[in-house]
Amino acid sequence: MVAITLHDVGVNIPIFDVSRASLKKALLGRAIGGRFAQSGSHLTVSALKNINIEAHDGDRIALVGDNGSGKSTLLRVVSKVYPPTSGTVNVAGAVSPMFDATLGMSMDATGLENIQIAGTIWGMTRTQIKNSVDDIADFTELGDYLKIPVRTYSNGMMLRLAFAIATVRDPEILLIDEIIGVGDSVFFQKATSRMQKLVERSRILMVAAHQDDMLRRLCNKAIWLSHGSLVQFGDIDSVLVAYRGQGVPVPEPAVS
Amino acid sequence: MNVQDVPNQDARPTSTPVVISPATAVLQAEAPTYPIGQTIAAEVIAGFREWRVWAILGWDDIRQRYRRSVLGPFWITLSTGMFILLLGVIYSRLFHTDIAIYIPYLSAGLPLWGFISASINESCLAFQEGSRIMKQIKLPYSVYVLRVVWRNFIVFVHTVVIFIPVAIIFKTTPTWATLLVLPGLFIVCVNVAWLATVLAIISTRYRDILPIVGTCIQIAMFATPIMWPVTALGEDTYIAAINPLYHLIEIVRAPMLGTAPQLLSWLVDGGLAIVGSAFAITLLVSKSRRIVFWV
Repeated sequence: MVAITLHDVGVNIPIFDVSRASLKKALLGRAIGGRFAQSGSHLTVSALKNINIEAHDGDRIALVGDNGSGKSTLLRVVSKVYPPTSGTVNVAGAVSPMFDATLGMSMDATGLENIQIAGTIWGMTRTQIKNSVDDIADFTELGDYLKIPVRTYSNGMMLRLAFAIATVRDPEILLIDEIIGVGDSVFFQKATSRMQKLVERSRILMVAAHQDDMLRRLCNKAIWLSHGSLVQFGDIDSVLVAYRGQGVPVPEPAVS
Repeated sequence: MNVQDVPNQDARPTSTPVVISPATAVLQAEAPTYPIGQTIAAEVIAGFREWRVWAILGWDDIRQRYRRSVLGPFWITLSTGMFILLLGVIYSRLFHTDIAIYIPYLSAGLPLWGFISASINESCLAFQEGSRIMKQIKLPYSVYVLRVVWRNFIVFVHTVVIFIPVAIIFKTTPTWATLLVLPGLFIVCVNVAWLATVLAIISTRYRDILPIVGTCIQIAMFATPIMWPVTALGEDTYIAAINPLYHLIEIVRAPMLGTAPQLLSWLVDGGLAIVGSAFAITLLVSKSRRIVFWV
């Protein structure tokens, strides 16, 4: 059974950077009036608090919220990248995160070698990689370019290859952080339909994005996050209406 | 099916600032505990099961270094060969040692030292190197360490081949004791892996560890009998005997040169491997829930 259960999940992210010492001071000053001298310990940003979510087979969940509201953090908790500071996370099923399509791309390696490297990192078996080469070559239309180093590729070619590799999987739980903008408009059409197929193959989808029309097309439910808290979890239309109806969102301080 | 936790739109916190709390307060908050055995399975054993990931990443690291060069990784072989030749001619005179003894000695010890020192040096950046992967896919943390050890093992293989022509030229004949190279090498790998794990964790959290380790390694090279024979110490061979790095080198070098390593070397290296691995695994288990936030 494929399911995601988050119970009372909180994530605190520590900040260590010495270079942010002035920021640290500024934030501290605001948070506790600047009278408190920090001795040796570091700051933490509470990125998620008290999140309760249950998702089952067939759920297509959109994550909405302002920048820094915790969408990416939530995806990283579900993908087990971020262990929760409090609460419990239960994820049944193989998670396939897609946060950065160019993951594992090695500039000096050829296109074919990159399929090997990225495919291995994504957890594909050797046979799966071998079988996907033709599909990737077909989709990217890169042909013989696959035999030369990707550093010679144009940006568009790079993206096509990265996107093709990232979308070749058979995910159970698919997590997407922002849809990748891909090349020219003809390719964008192809990419959209490929993405759609990938989503259809998955059992549970969680996608963070800002484009409402796309979210409505892909999803049937939505989670609205604000300042790391869950505001609303329900069907996509009611959540989007509520989220968009709250007026112009106030920009957050860039901490998270 | 629908879990509507906060269905009311008005419940949205309107002016809540981003909560910044001192770490002390957070540390007191209840942290969920996870079974240790489960963590070991997920972080250490699974790391070996994911060998394809670190194997391909390590290979790619090596290939990237030597892309577009004619000799490729064999540049390492060539430069080690030249280094050994030059040093052999000069230092054998410096230490009044027969060149037929000194050059095999050097070409057995130097590649191994290169493997140990480079693995230790580079392990400090193991997690930072892998941070892009780490923040996207949950892989066992040992994968990132094993990638570093593996790529330096590849370098080691490219350098240690020098020993073969050297042994032929200077007639270093293999004996039964030569077979001890394999268990010796295994023990060295275990020791390198645990130390690399410990350094990877600590230096990710404390960025000042990297230069400290670099300095120590540099000094250790001159304090350890690699370029100079133990006999050069005269009466004071205890200086070598108390140096664990000497035993780490000796456990492979001695069988390469046809003699069994001393019992002391087996004991020191074996003991270090057991105690060190236990320590490294304990550290990894206790910090496995923090590392991703440190990179």
